[in-house]
Amino acid sequence: MNRLFEGLPARAFLLLAILAAALLVAPWLVNDYLLSVLIIVLYFAYVGQAWNLMIGFAGQLSLGHALFVGIGAYTSAAIFVHFGIGPWATVFIAVLASVLAGSIIGYLGFRFSIRGVYFALLTIAFAEFTRIMVDHTEWLGSTQGLFLPVANRESIDLLNLRGSPMMFYYVILGMTVAALVLCRLLLNSKLGYYWQAIREDQDSAQAYGVNVFRYKMIAVAISSGLTGIAGVFYAFYYNNLFPETTFATSRSIEMILGTVVGGVGTLFGPIVGAFFLTPLGELLTALTDDIGLDGIKPFFWGICVAGIVLFRPSGLWPWIAGLLGLDKPAGGEGK
Amino acid sequence: MTKSDKRGTFSVTRRTFTAGAAAAAASLALPMRHIHAAGALKVGVLLPRSGPQAGIGQDCQRGVDVALPILKELGYPDMEIISGDTETNVEIARAQAEKLINEGVQLLVGAFDSGQTTAIAQVAEQKGIPLVINIAASPAITEQGYKFVFRNFPNAPKILGDAFTNQKELFAATGATPKTAVLLHVNDTFGKAMQGGIGALMPKFDVPYKLVEQIAYDPKARDLSVEISKAKATGAEALLVVSRLNDAILLTRELVKQRWNPMGVLSMGPGWYEDQYIKTLGKLSDDPVSFVPWQDYNKPLTKVVQEALAKAHPDRAMNTNHTYTFEALMIAADAYKRAGSTDPNALADALRATNITDNISAGPGIMFNEKGQNDKLLNVAIQNRDGKHVVVAPKSAANADPIWPMRPLDQRG
Repeated sequence: MNRLFEGLPARAFLLLAILAAALLVAPWLVNDYLLSVLIIVLYFAYVGQAWNLMIGFAGQLSLGHALFVGIGAYTSAAIFVHFGIGPWATVFIAVLASVLAGSIIGYLGFRFSIRGVYFALLTIAFAEFTRIMVDHTEWLGSTQGLFLPVANRESIDLLNLRGSPMMFYYVILGMTVAALVLCRLLLNSKLGYYWQAIREDQDSAQAYGVNVFRYKMIAVAISSGLTGIAGVFYAFYYNNLFPETTFATSRSIEMILGTVVGGVGTLFGPIVGAFFLTPLGELLTALTDDIGLDGIKPFFWGICVAGIVLFRPSGLWPWIAGLLGLDKPAGGEGK
Repeated sequence: MTKSDKRGTFSVTRRTFTAGAAAAAASLALPMRHIHAAGALKVGVLLPRSGPQAGIGQDCQRGVDVALPILKELGYPDMEIISGDTETNVEIARAQAEKLINEGVQLLVGAFDSGQTTAIAQVAEQKGIPLVINIAASPAITEQGYKFVFRNFPNAPKILGDAFTNQKELFAATGATPKTAVLLHVNDTFGKAMQGGIGALMPKFDVPYKLVEQIAYDPKARDLSVEISKAKATGAEALLVVSRLNDAILLTRELVKQRWNPMGVLSMGPGWYEDQYIKTLGKLSDDPVSFVPWQDYNKPLTKVVQEALAKAHPDRAMNTNHTYTFEALMIAADAYKRAGSTDPNALADALRATNITDNISAGPGIMFNEKGQNDKLLNVAIQNRDGKHVVVAPKSAANADPIWPMRPLDQRG
């Protein structure tokens, strides 16, 4: 517990408490539309956190994280559809499958010293051929899609993850908080320091005796496993999976944009980014509807994102943290 | 009662949202439902008007735009349309459905794509708001036991099955039956799915020709000369294609260049009948036969819709997108008329009892089976003729005799 809160200034505690309270009561205050937007926000905050662990902490760029979402989603959904086994039992299989896929990519990449954009290309390639494989697998619904039976909105079946959006909201909120806590603990652990050393200068880290291959593999495994859990959530919330959309590179980009905008390598960057980008999209939808010009929203959205990248290249969170005085830790890591 | 398209109207919900986080707790607690004008059915139309499917979504929207005045003229009750853009994204589609329902729509229409439609269908089903699907072909959508989901569009196996039936009718009518064919298909999800379906259904429908070769090509190909050479070398009599617009143009040009005049081109997908194909190729665009869900030109209402579209969009020919989106709204208006209420349950009951025969799509009319699927729809064979489309099969919907075998491409001036 000490490690979790170590170095946090008092006002950070206060802000966290306010944020936690707001998120806890939000479903009781907002309408269904805003609840669904909040679920999307938290989903992207969660997957952004998982991706951030790999690139932000360990410095390994992945542009194919949709692969792990897809593997988690298809594994749990297929087992549920064909055998009726709920997600709490299959989430372990889904995580295992995602970790296995991540480990294969990691092994190939790190064993053969594939770095940077070339490693990113490897992740894209795996996502692509997994998509093609699913396209041709009847058991997974192939191109026709895999459908989970629709849930009754009024009932809550937590065991089978069937129920109202409010239930899904609290599930994804719990996942996001858990991911945040895990990342905080990892970042302040010996493992986290090794990752940061590798991120800053891999060759120097290796020269100092850090087992680079091992720690990079651990980063990929944890990141892919966490993302696989997001896949389980995705499958049971949306209840339909199509390989073309689930494994698309555009999905991977969507997943990482929040973190890029929020601040790569920071703990709150993925959360801030998700809370900024998704509502920005909805706001622009509302505003551009007035113009009546279809497709104008991505144009404005792109301008906003480009503006942030240009004027706040470290992301929004370091800037906000500076404004709120949260970047002056009492001691230890203050991100 | 005024019929109005509320695209662009800045709603209370949006204002509330725009007010944003600063006023969140207090403002978001306010009731979000609109108090809507009594008498008009509020219909939420969800289409992918931006993103990769923007072109098709906007084309469907043209069907919405012409529908209201025509339906009014036909004596249907007023409807108020509130549009939502799904942005070709499943998450957005779901959120938009929630948003429109929150704004008080009593019935949903959409959404062209199966994935987005499924996401919307769940929200509709869970909230008990009827969804009338305009276009989406995945068979699974109506196999979920939904009570509030209705589809007036053929599913993929039906489209393929009808295509083979129409081909046989075409061959019988002209007395020219190819013994062999070569299949050229785009190597993407759609192309592969169609290839699989063709292989599986051909024996079942006792198709008279044999596929001598199947040639896949990259969807982004800029040159298809090798593929056409290969296809020509097989000596196949007919060319069976599953393609999209750009590759359809490339393939036609290669047919001309390589002086290959097969008995005909049988298209099992988009591309060969599209406006841009016809505009780009002129006389060369004549004669390929496409097997598609389409309008029946012999039905009186089709002419009305065709004229309205021609007036509003003179550069566009009426097509599947307009037809089935128009009909989705017609179904909504008809259900509302018979239900006499905007209550979603009453609307759903009325939808189950739908029996519209003065519609525009091919087939006996619009009626739904116990799964909410209109299984009476007929897909047709259309042929490009002098820059326009004619229906050549089935006979019940045909408005022209087929030209088969097709006229030699290299002798068209």
